[in-house]
Amino acid sequence: MKIQQEINQPPRWASRLLQWFCAPHLLEEVQGDLQEEFEFRIQRDGIRKAKLDYIRNVIGYIKPFALKRKSSPHSNSILSMNMLKHYAIVAARNLVRHKAFSAINVFGLSLGMTCCLFIFLWVRDEKLVDNFHENGESLYALYYHQSNGSGGSDAGHSFPYIFKDNKERVIADEIKQSIPEVEFATPYVTTYELPWGYMRTFQAGEKIHKLEGSAAGEDFFKMFSYELIAGDRKAPLNDISSLAISRKMSDMFFNTPDDAIGKSIRYENSLDFIVSAVFEDVPVESSLKFDFIINWKRIVAGGVERSDNKWPTFIQLHKDADPMAAASKITTMFKGLTGDVPGVKLEMGLQPFAEKYLVSNFVNGKPSGGRIEYVRIFSGVAVFILVIACINFMNLATARSVRRAKEVGVRKVVGSSRLSLIAQFFGESMLLAILAMVGSLIMVQLLLPVFNNFTGKQIGSPIADPVAWIFLTCLILFTGILAGSYPALFLSSLKPVRILKGVVRFTPASLWIRKGLAGFQFVLSIILLIVTFVITRQTSFVQNTNLGYDRENLIYLRIEGDLYPKYALFKERVLKMPGIAMVDRSTEAPHAMTFVISGPFLWEGQKKDEFVAMKPLSVGFDFIKIMNLKIVEGRDFKNNPADSADAFMVNEEAVRQMGMKDPIGKSISAWGKKGHIIGVLKDYHTHSLHEPIKPVIMDVKEYEYFGVIIVKTEPGKTKEALASIEKVWKELNPNFPFDYQFVDKEYEKLYKNEMVVAKLTNAFAGIAIAISCLGLLGLIMFSAEQRTKEIGIRKVLGATVANIIGLLSKDFLKLVVVSFVIAAPVAGYLMNKWLQGFAFKTELSWWIFALAGISALVVALLTISVQAFAAAIANPVKSLKTE
Amino acid sequence: VRIKVFYVANDLISKSRFNFQNEMKRTNLGEFEEIVLLTVARLEDNAYGVNITHEIIEQTDRSVRLNQVHASLLRLEEKGMVNSKMGDPTPERGGRRKRIFKITAFGQQTLTDIKEVRTHLWSLLPSHIKPADL
Repeated sequence: MKIQQEINQPPRWASRLLQWFCAPHLLEEVQGDLQEEFEFRIQRDGIRKAKLDYIRNVIGYIKPFALKRKSSPHSNSILSMNMLKHYAIVAARNLVRHKAFSAINVFGLSLGMTCCLFIFLWVRDEKLVDNFHENGESLYALYYHQSNGSGGSDAGHSFPYIFKDNKERVIADEIKQSIPEVEFATPYVTTYELPWGYMRTFQAGEKIHKLEGSAAGEDFFKMFSYELIAGDRKAPLNDISSLAISRKMSDMFFNTPDDAIGKSIRYENSLDFIVSAVFEDVPVESSLKFDFIINWKRIVAGGVERSDNKWPTFIQLHKDADPMAAASKITTMFKGLTGDVPGVKLEMGLQPFAEKYLVSNFVNGKPSGGRIEYVRIFSGVAVFILVIACINFMNLATARSVRRAKEVGVRKVVGSSRLSLIAQFFGESMLLAILAMVGSLIMVQLLLPVFNNFTGKQIGSPIADPVAWIFLTCLILFTGILAGSYPALFLSSLKPVRILKGVVRFTPASLWIRKGLAGFQFVLSIILLIVTFVITRQTSFVQNTNLGYDRENLIYLRIEGDLYPKYALFKERVLKMPGIAMVDRSTEAPHAMTFVISGPFLWEGQKKDEFVAMKPLSVGFDFIKIMNLKIVEGRDFKNNPADSADAFMVNEEAVRQMGMKDPIGKSISAWGKKGHIIGVLKDYHTHSLHEPIKPVIMDVKEYEYFGVIIVKTEPGKTKEALASIEKVWKELNPNFPFDYQFVDKEYEKLYKNEMVVAKLTNAFAGIAIAISCLGLLGLIMFSAEQRTKEIGIRKVLGATVANIIGLLSKDFLKLVVVSFVIAAPVAGYLMNKWLQGFAFKTELSWWIFALAGISALVVALLTISVQAFAAAIANPVKSLKTE
Repeated sequence: VRIKVFYVANDLISKSRFNFQNEMKRTNLGEFEEIVLLTVARLEDNAYGVNITHEIIEQTDRSVRLNQVHASLLRLEEKGMVNSKMGDPTPERGGRRKRIFKITAFGQQTLTDIKEVRTHLWSLLPSHIKPADL
């Protein structure tokens, strides 16, 4: 019987289809008619034909008349002017009426948007770097990846000369000649970066200035879009003595750019260059920074020092060339040039030039990581904070819904459709989002100078930037829709009968959602707090850690010009001046030694094919004393010719890596200078803490060699000391402007990135906590309001103020605790990854987490107790008499 | 005086409605609609979708589908020639109600007008075309 019934039903999918498309007001009669017809057909034609006929009928109803929904007389007014005006008035009244709520809402959103906007500006600025070159699509930076069988691997953009046939070959030239895909290629090396770079001194007539520049090949200006404004635009670097200078440099020495062309300019008081071209000042968004460009061949020919013995090579491929194919050809070419080194695998790769700035690190021989990580972190933070702010808005709006519920009830009763209610609430949240945006634009405008100062950027106001406006619009839409979604959908779903009867019951689910949202906010805030603590701790560790030497009161100056021969005289004269404690010299500035090499070192007991990469350093006799280095074994250098000729000192790490026992007295040699180890230095940091301690080998070259002069000033007498040095400098080295650096300040510059990140995360964590607390404040206000009567009754029955505060706070504190439990492992994981970047790092101690948890708890408690206290001391008579 | 005002007013009204009334005077009824309307009139209190369809099939031998009839009924309702109300639930429709259509006075008038126009036109035809009984 039942089966029979089943069979006699029309096809289910067809009825479903009908139900779905047919307008509701027609559905009943259509379904009825179809059913009746169906049964009629069964009698007449049998079940099969009846079914087919039913389907045909259903399909026959897919016509406009059946699809079109009956328009209700009210709902078509969603967008009518009258209703819009009315909505606006209601929204404005609501804003004004609940000033505290509105302020919390708008302020919270504003803060969130401000963060977002700043991060957007920063990220955009980062992404713009190196993106202005016209040939950008076909510009590449060459990188190498070298690996041996035992897992050792090394990759980078810069690599040294290739020695073959005792001839110095420039990689760029070789590549351009032998790889058909390559259109242009240029080496590029600055004259100012570590390890040996410094500002170069130029002189034209009476004018002397120090400037930073680079050396590159003839193709440089053809490849990169640095606009030439005067001189030879086709081949500005054709000649070994030609020099291209910036507008700034041209203005320093000459009247006009055109005036500069063909003029002679003296370099380091030793060489003369002819200005062949003037280019527009290098734009801020260029990662290559220079005020002059020297022809690369000038460096090869000698007379101009480069900052490094390794340099990057940039390549421009032909328009439709395949970079992969080009890279593999370059690899083959390199193997031909270097010959096979057993066990070493060499691979060359091409990285798009525009990516080089953001992706400058290498993982497994491929470009990966670098500044891009900060871009990602901060983009994430921006979304975090915006979401926190939006959640606030949702929570507060939902909490307020008790008040708005009556409005919704009345609206529904007089015929408002759900759709128009949703539109109304979205409209309101959009309005608030726009208000918040106005607020945040004002904030951004005011804080932009501070932000630029923070990050060392020159970001202009977003108001003048059309791309920023697109972002702003998206931000408003995103915030408006996200923030308005829950209230709009929740409030519009309320049943008018219940609301108007006066019962607005929140389902456990909706309470749960609200708490969940608040909890989520706290999870994010606590994560940010922990991140801040760890980064701040690591940064201060970096600044205050014992480097193994004294960096206080140390000044260094480059040995240049006439100081080469006159160093001894300089030292003697300066030592007699006031404020000076000690003077010595070194081949590299001691806080950031980057020169590492393994070839030239031989030692007693060295095995065949065994090499140790070491940092070589040639110093004066007093270097150990001036740096206050500790000696673990043996003795310091003594001021006599024997030590000058024979003495070497190494650090503990060098002893370890060379595998020496009893190193004192063992013979060792560097670049053919043979001698013996006289002492072992305690390991000290020769570079930033990103880098593990490396082997150091040190000998005395008091009377020869390049490098820096290190001056130790007497504490508190820096000014006198500087005046003293300058006086002697001017007498002995008049053709070079006096220039000096403080070791401690330069050391801090090595952590510029970390400092910026630390400052920014500090600010962001503060803001995130503030926004979360605003949210908490809103929730407790709501909770207190909901329970006004309960509190009244409890008080009448004898509850104390403390009881009531406890009652109101308990749930929220639980929330914070749960959030902490979720946040701690996530933050721990993230920070562990971040700390991997440091060879020397602070530990992730438990107390950091505890501190973050307790701070969150305390701040939450304070926020809650203010409102809870207000609710608890209220007079119960007032709250109870309202019924 | 009063009468005069009345006439003026009437005049104004008829002027302003002139186009509208002219529009209404035209029967504006499709051939199929006319058949449906006639069937609704014939079925009196029992005119609803299935019934009307069956009746049309039976009487005119056309193959007509429910959706066509339904669409045309809705159009007729829009034009004011029929009105409708929901009837009582019936078991053969799975407990659903039918929508019962009823011809309005305007609908009747329209049918009469059409008939009159036709009759008049027929009467003007030359005798060799006219059927014998007219």
